[in-house]
Order: sequence, then structure tokens, then C-alpha cells
Amino acid sequence: MKISTVFSSSLLGASLSLALCACANAAPQATNNSAALMSQSSIVFSGTVSQLAATSFADVPKSTQTIVVRVDSIVKKPAAVSLKKGDSVTVEVKDALGFQEGTQATFYTDGWIFGSGVAVKELGHVLGPAAESAPVTGAGPNTHGAQGKISDQELRDRMNKSDFVVVGRVTDVRKWNAPKAKSGAPSRVTEHDPDWQEAVVEVQSVLKGGKVKGNKVIVRFPSRNDVAWVNSPKFTKNQRGIFCLNRDQTTGSPTTGQGANVYTCLGHGDALPISEEARVRALLTNP
Amino acid sequence: MKACASSWLRFPAFALPAARFALLTTLLSAVLLAPPFKTTARFFLTRAQAPPTPAIKVVNLIPASLSGESNQDSEPFLAIQSENPQVMVASAFTPNPFSMTGNAPVYVSQDGGKSWALNAITPVQHMTCDITHAMATGENHPRGDLHAGTLACASGITLDESESNDVALGATMNVQSTRGNVDQPFVRALGVSSGDRIYVGVNDFNQANGHTATIDVSVNGGATYRSIPIEMRNTAGQDGPSVRPAVANDGTVYAAFFGWRKFNGKTATSDVVVVRDDAAATGANPFRALKDPTDKLPGLLVVKKVAIPWSNAPALGQERIGSTLSIAVDPNHSGTVYVGWADKGSKGDIYTLHVRRSTDRGVTWSKTDLPHTTIHNATNVALAVANNGAVGFLYQQLSRGRWVTHLVQSHDGFMTSQDFVLATVPADQPVGQFLPYLGDYDYLLSVGNEFRGVFCANNAPDFANFPQGVTYQRAADFSAKTLNDGAGIAVPISIDPFYFSVPVIP
Repeated sequence: MKISTVFSSSLLGASLSLALCACANAAPQATNNSAALMSQSSIVFSGTVSQLAATSFADVPKSTQTIVVRVDSIVKKPAAVSLKKGDSVTVEVKDALGFQEGTQATFYTDGWIFGSGVAVKELGHVLGPAAESAPVTGAGPNTHGAQGKISDQELRDRMNKSDFVVVGRVTDVRKWNAPKAKSGAPSRVTEHDPDWQEAVVEVQSVLKGGKVKGNKVIVRFPSRNDVAWVNSPKFTKNQRGIFCLNRDQTTGSPTTGQGANVYTCLGHGDALPISEEARVRALLTNP
Repeated sequence: MKACASSWLRFPAFALPAARFALLTTLLSAVLLAPPFKTTARFFLTRAQAPPTPAIKVVNLIPASLSGESNQDSEPFLAIQSENPQVMVASAFTPNPFSMTGNAPVYVSQDGGKSWALNAITPVQHMTCDITHAMATGENHPRGDLHAGTLACASGITLDESESNDVALGATMNVQSTRGNVDQPFVRALGVSSGDRIYVGVNDFNQANGHTATIDVSVNGGATYRSIPIEMRNTAGQDGPSVRPAVANDGTVYAAFFGWRKFNGKTATSDVVVVRDDAAATGANPFRALKDPTDKLPGLLVVKKVAIPWSNAPALGQERIGSTLSIAVDPNHSGTVYVGWADKGSKGDIYTLHVRRSTDRGVTWSKTDLPHTTIHNATNVALAVANNGAVGFLYQQLSRGRWVTHLVQSHDGFMTSQDFVLATVPADQPVGQFLPYLGDYDYLLSVGNEFRGVFCANNAPDFANFPQGVTYQRAADFSAKTLNDGAGIAVPISIDPFYFSVPVIP
């Protein structure tokens, strides 16, 4: 097995691909690379190169970097994406010289163009036939209109950007009205009005960030079902979960009347069910 | 019945030929019996005597490779590459299909709307919360030049005004201007030899004195923008969200907006205001050519102090209401301009559309609605004027539990008209995922001898829902009236964007 993993890092250079022989002492690194690529990729499949410098459907700009790959098996894809064995996929590869017609590889990719077919951009690949048929796992956000499970990579990113990650319970939910501006300017009326609410979260443990004063925090969240806030968590009393919190930089009033910091929890994946605690802890332990 | 007969020949890719004959009776019955056709049946019978009508095209925009999606892809918009009308860009509240952090996508067609591909090129992460766009010229950019106004709503609301020189490449659009505290960008553009002129209507809360109706103007292809407030009167602290520019080929620029005079949380008492500039808004004090005779202030008051219901919750079926507005100018005769809006209307109505016309550059307007343009319980008005002067009037009406999408055309101010129902779908399905359900707007343009536009609707694959025929790219079984993911797994119905092309009446 030969692994060719091309990262965007300038350390590797544009034409340098990291090739590791499938010798025993290289295997752990190969495994680590594959795992990292799997985590970063939204679409992973094994296939056989059928054309070089070609595309599988007309909407994709053809270049020397685009190849057509016949899918042998799907490892990972979003539910929304229609892709199955036998389909032809356009892959924009990092180094086209590494492929010939008939080359078999597992491709770690991100989506690019979706038309009558699928076009993807390579994040990395592992040469050789698929070791075994792997089950299709979900990836990406679109699972029949509902908010799908956030990927490890996206959850890691969310937590990295959070001031606090806490395990807690919502003890109260109440409406919050922004104080009137000192200028006397009226509040704005838009279809994107968030209709802010406050959740009082009793912190049971802090997974990231410092100690929480008083073990309770105020978390503001939009209650409105407008498109602007559709991905924002909505809190309910007695809800338990893991919450990624940021100091409030959105509502314009970042403290309570008593001067305590207020937090927001606005992104998809910022509020997770308590059943995700083990995954969250593992990701925080191995960033 | 010629229009129906001709459209009957266009079948979706997934339809079985055997189904065609069986569905003929259903389709013809639906066309003849559907309530919206009662008022227009006379015209259809008249047209049956005419030469064959060029094909009407209705296409579901969701590509085959995203057959598994069931997002609420509402609030559509459309841009056409004027130099190469085979190239078009459409948009909706469609999320990035593979990443929460990847760019929000647009739909690109390079074959005149027959097929569409999703390309994640906007500068907004995952999904926009407002997007409009326009393509001004094409001599240097055969698959551009696309100018977009987008709102990003991850935390706070940020406007990006951006550009792409090639919408098919997949490169992220270049952000040329950005700022916060604005709402509902609405982009129009005109290509001239010195560079694209771009006009972006925005409700800009940064403006002083509550004069929020604003046009962002660029006369250099977006390299620089100037924000021009177009409200000159006292407001209720702000104007309505919709600020709509319209541009004629001679450089005349109109804009319409709701001048909010009072607001009580449920109703905006509003003027419908039209401003005009005769020099492409390049002068020192643009948009002051029209003055209202009552107060001598810039901005002609087409109607005064109408009651416009405001609801950020479902009010018209599953749709919210409060700010549907459209303005269209004859591209070749800039003195003729149409404006359409919705207000409380007559007793018993939730929301009533109106269309009025000026033939003297906006100085005077029809005193009442143009004939047959007072539409009850309807929204999403979109107007356009074709090169031959025919006006197109797109709207969506809640009628007997269905959302019915109409395109009406007229040469004579709607004294006589042609009315095509493009879609008639159940209004209670699917259940909305968020607001807006169908969109705070849809869109209509003219190019050559076609009206082209976009609307959103329930995507159940049922011929009876699309009286002019329809083509689906996504996997659909019209016999069973079900969607699947391309591998046979059932997919629930949802709201999809639909593109259409209708020949302009001669």
C-alpha cells in the first residue's frame, strides 16, 4: 500500500507528495493520516481512475488536475448527496502525475460542484484497492432537513472558538428585552429579529475555560424561527447538555444588570445532548 | 388549450413514458378546474386559435446528485448573463450540502436553464440569510460578471457586496464591501463600457434620523460603493425592509420603498415611495428627480398611509408577511414604470396585492390598481418589462388551501392579459422548517423574447401541481408521486426552488 497525502501546508511544497511505503514501521503514521483525513473529509470513497484530465459532467471546469474516478465503494458521504457504486466522480486532485487510468485508490475529499454528477476536491488519497467494503457513514449537515450530527472536525472547531465548554442544566428560560439605546433610537424592526431569550444554566462541570462564578451562567439565545437563527440552539427548562459558550458580542448588552458576564450559544452544534459527553471529552483531550 | 398541449410534451427525466397518457386526463382536468383559471379560461380559449406557443419551461433546480436533500430551499432569486443568456445564477436558502463551515452555494446553469449545478461560491458560511444578485455585462467574463449582496447571520448580521468573474469555477466570490446593521440587500446592475454600475437597495440602520431606505451605488464594478439615503421624510424610526431599485438601458434608475410613518408592532402605516435618478446615480445628489407635489420633497408618494400588516410568524398560510414590493421599468422606454406592493387590502383579506403604472417617468401614477391586479391573499409580487413593452407580473396566491404561482402578462396595462399558472401545490405541506416558508420574495426578469424567473414551492412530483409541465433533475417517481435519493431510499417532500421560462406575448 502506498499512501499519498497532500496537505495544503506550504511545508510540503506544491509538487511534493508524502509517499510512505507500506512497511511495518510506517503503518502507524499511515493509520494516523487516514484517520485525520477521514475526520476532515466530507466524502470518502474507493474507486478506479477511468480518465485523466477529464470531467464526469459538463458543469465542471476541466483541467489537468481533474480526473474521473469510477466509484467502487462509498465510505462516507452526506445523506443529501446521491452517490453509489458505479457512479463516475470528478476529482480535482492535488498532483495528477500520481494517477494513471486504472489506478485504484481511496479518496478523501470535500464537495465541490453538485450537478448531474458529483465533483469533489481531493484532501488526500490512499493508493490501492479498498481493503474491505466499509459501511457508509453520514457526514455533513443535511439529513432530510433536520440538523444532522456535527462532525468531529466541525465540533472541534466550534470548541476551539468557544470561551467555555460546560456540562450543565437549564434551570430557567425567560424573555430578555434589550435595554433602550441611550441615544433614544428606536429598536430595529426586521424579519431577522431574534426575539432574545435568556437561559439560566447551572454548570455541573467545566470542560474548557476557567471556573464559573456562582456555578450559574446566563445564556442568551434567539427564540425566533427566522432563517438567520434556524441553526441556533433553542433552550428549554430542565434541558441537560454540553454547551459551547462565547461571551456575548451579539446582543449589544454583554452583561447582566448586576455586571455579570452574559454568554451566547448561537451555532449549530453549540448545544449537544448529554449523550455526546464522551465524544466531547475525547476531542478536547486529543485536539 | 395550445399552451397546455405544447407543455405536455416536456416530461421530467424520471417520468416513465407509460405514465404520460394516463396523466393527460388528470392534467387537463387540473388546468380547467383549478380555481385560478376561472378568470383566465377565456384567454386560454382565445389562444387556442393562435399559432403554436413556444415552449414554457419549468425546472426544479435541485440537481440529481443532491436527490437526498430535503431542506427548505426558500426565497429564490435569479441573475441572467445578458451577453450570454445561456448562463444564469439562481439562489435560495440552500445550505452547503457537505459542510457547516463551507461556503453557501448558488445554482449555476450554462445551458439556458435546462440543467443546474450547485456551486459553493458565496462569501457566506454554510447558508445566507439573504441573497440577491445580478449580472451586468459579459464581454470580458463569459460566465460572469456576477455581483451579489449577501447577509451572513452566524452571529449578528453582516452585509457583503461581492463579485465573481466566473461563476462556474468554484472560486469564492471576492468581497468588495462589507458592513453590519443592514437588512435585505437587493441587487440590480447595468453594464456600461466604463464598468458595471451596481445598485443595491438596503434597509440601512446606520443612517441618521431613521431614514433607513438606502441605495448602495457603485459606478466602477463594485470597487467602491457609496451609500445614498433615499428617504427624505419623517419615519417611525425606520423604513420597511424592502428597498428595490430598477434600471433602464438609458441610465434612468428608479427605486421603490416603504416609507414607514407609524408602526405599532402589528401594522406599518406606510407610504409607497418612488424615487428616480436620470444620470445613473452618478451625480452629487442622486435620486431627487421626483418630488411629491404635496410636500415638494424628493420621492413621489404613489399611495399614502396604507396599512401594511407585519407578522414575523406564519400569517398567510405558513408564510410571514410585511414587506412585498416590486418595481420594474421598461428597459427601452424609461418613462414607463410599474410598482407592485401588498397591504391590508379589503375587509376579510390578509394581504392584498396591487399594481400601478406611470407613463411619465413616475410623475403621475394610475389612481387605482391596474385592471385585474388587485389580488387577494397573495404575496411575492415580482414585476418585469420585456423589450417589446409587455409587462410580466409574478405572484403567489393562497387559494383554497394551495399556493398558486401565477405569471400574468399584458401589453395594455392589464386591460387584457395572459395568465399562466406555473404551480398549484398544497399549502399545508411540508411543515415549515423556518421563516420565510416560500420566501420574502421571488423574482422575474426578461431576456430576449422570454420572461424568466424563479419561485419556490412544495416539491411533490405530481403533474397536477404543475399545469405547464415540469422537469425534475432530482430523482422523482411521478407515478408514485414520491422522491428518492437516487438509490431508491425515500426522501420526504420539501420546499424547492423552480426556474421557469415563458415566452413574452408578441
